[in-house]
Amino acid sequence: MAYEISLISILEVILTLIIALFIGVLIPGIERKYVQARIQQRIGPPVTSPGLWASIKFLFKENIKPNSPAPGLYKAMPILCFIAVLAVFLALMPENYQFMAFASLIAIVGFLKVEEIAYVLMGSLSKSVMSINLRFPDHAKGAERQGLLVSSIEDISSNRSLRMIIFGSFPLYLALFIPAALSKSIYLADIVAYQQANGPFLFTLAGIIGTVVFFIGYMILLNEYPFSYIKAKSDVIEGPYMELASKYRSFVYLTRGFLIFTLGLMYCVLFLGVSPELFSLKFIVCIIISLLLPVIMAIVSAFSPIFTNRQLYPTILVTSALGALAMVIALF
Amino acid sequence: MEEKKAKKQEIIETEIQMGTVHPAALEPYRVRFFVEDEIIKDAEITIGVNHRGIERIMEGLPVEKANMLTEKICGICSNAHTWNSVRTAEKGLGVEVPDRAVYIRVIVGELERLHSHLLYLGHGCETLAHETFSMRVFFIRETIMELLGMIGGNRVQYGCSIIGGVRPRCELDDNRIRRILDGMDLVEKNVADFADRFVHDSIVLSRITGTGYIPQEQALKLAVTGPTLRATGVKRDLRTDMYEYDNFDYDIITQDTCDVKAQLLMRVFEIFEAIKIIRQAIRDLPEGKITDRSWEMVDTGLIESYIEVPRGTLYHSYAIEDGRVRHSIIRTPSMSNIGAMQYACIDNHITDGQLCIVQCDPCFTCSDRAIEVYDTNNNKLDKSILKSNIH
Repeated sequence: MAYEISLISILEVILTLIIALFIGVLIPGIERKYVQARIQQRIGPPVTSPGLWASIKFLFKENIKPNSPAPGLYKAMPILCFIAVLAVFLALMPENYQFMAFASLIAIVGFLKVEEIAYVLMGSLSKSVMSINLRFPDHAKGAERQGLLVSSIEDISSNRSLRMIIFGSFPLYLALFIPAALSKSIYLADIVAYQQANGPFLFTLAGIIGTVVFFIGYMILLNEYPFSYIKAKSDVIEGPYMELASKYRSFVYLTRGFLIFTLGLMYCVLFLGVSPELFSLKFIVCIIISLLLPVIMAIVSAFSPIFTNRQLYPTILVTSALGALAMVIALF
Repeated sequence: MEEKKAKKQEIIETEIQMGTVHPAALEPYRVRFFVEDEIIKDAEITIGVNHRGIERIMEGLPVEKANMLTEKICGICSNAHTWNSVRTAEKGLGVEVPDRAVYIRVIVGELERLHSHLLYLGHGCETLAHETFSMRVFFIRETIMELLGMIGGNRVQYGCSIIGGVRPRCELDDNRIRRILDGMDLVEKNVADFADRFVHDSIVLSRITGTGYIPQEQALKLAVTGPTLRATGVKRDLRTDMYEYDNFDYDIITQDTCDVKAQLLMRVFEIFEAIKIIRQAIRDLPEGKITDRSWEMVDTGLIESYIEVPRGTLYHSYAIEDGRVRHSIIRTPSMSNIGAMQYACIDNHITDGQLCIVQCDPCFTCSDRAIEVYDTNNNKLDKSILKSNIH
């Protein structure tokens, strides 16, 4: 296939990126203000506060030196995450479907894995002051246990991130390959073309089950309640992000919003056959879906406590089984 | 019964320290979790970073002033501390408290129990990371806070009890009584709705059922007190021994499952009992004066008083000499419950660790009483110095 890159297509991608970033930073505010606050019968924060103004505010905050063996690497991780999400975003752009290897499910899964591995690295590279307080034995209790290996709460978070890579994100990746099984191709161009000819996968049995599995996997990947295992407030607090301050934290907020939007676009491409073409109705559909998914996620989060292993393992097992079922249906 | 505590020589994989500052803990304390693959094998809670030496400050203060100071011990049981401190003085001085004042004290005490239990439920839901339930409970609690503010003039420190009765500002007129009754109707309905929603939430139940198990034998062995003890099936409530509650008809609630679920439901059911007591107190509120000022200050020996506060048994003791407090000792319920908190964490996941502590309704800041004194030469606790300095 001949590569055709025009200036207009580049501008379209850049404009789409700017819109995606802008909507992405508004999503946390929409979740907090218009969903969770309404459910909880309170006013909630201004819609621009949690995503947009928080990101801008952190840009001007003083930075801290993380307690890390490789502070530079630790601080580079949010940027790596952003690049990984940007790569997924670019792969979903119809202008890039001509680059078959790049705009394929294998590449997307690879980029998402980079984003996930960043959490493992961040957790293992950080050891915040929250874990090293009051280093004295309690003689009143007999000081029975001394000299043990003291683990930081970021270490736990890192271990959990690793577990999530191994099995936690399984449902999402199963869901991603259901359209591939239905269209018999891993290339986005083929998946979109197949759906434009035969109707969206959402309206097939495998597509419906795949949508449910995708949504649960989407929540797991975004570490949203009840799956916010790696940054549980009740033990590991912020987990890998704990020591990210100033512009690095700003990057975290920006990346999160961008990832939410990008995953919404991914759903549109894979299950609706709607690619984000700027200046068309398809783009409006993409924006609606990208906003609808976080709204549903916020509703689920508002009504769920955090999952521990006891709830997490069965949920992932059942969801993965559903994904496998959808895959079998899709193949036959 | 086989104890679940890890043996001393057992190898524990890792130690995780949380605190003294942690978002799941409302107060500064350190907990050391000794874990194997994220499962807690032992826990050690250390308090002491918020020691204010209130008993030491009370030494030598006029009794009335000392009573006012006890209100500052706790932001949740502020009335309970003043009540018990005043009760201690009344016991020593032989003061006869008017019936109307006793009833008003009971009303304020039970309102405080309501707000304490609702705070507990809200904090419990927050530790479960269920923000919606937590917000809902705090919304319900607001009615109680407004009623307490109406009676005492403040939402947290109402300063109700004084020696011989209650302050004039705490007198209940018809308007206030009507507002309290309306408030009780509203709280009862809202708590019933919340409880119904709570016990039918299967995800929440899966988090709290079987978590933080404290068997009855262990609770008794650890001298656990208050609702935390009653949630293990022990029918023990000091209100049955308090003369203030002689004229009231209420049930002592117990639970049998001994886990976080039992602890949370325990408070829900106690809320309905507290509402029942408040309604009875208002229905039977005697006429007459609310303060007896015909008492004289005399020197007394050591006086002791125990009352049942929302978190368990509260102990106050002091002697009076020249109208001033001597040798004050205060023991809050959380002090007795720390052992249970440590025990409850064992064999639970780290994410449930703080929940297991919170289920015992800790109030560590109020429990900061002792000062540990170390002989730095041999790094041992000097018990002789400790005894002479314990406050």
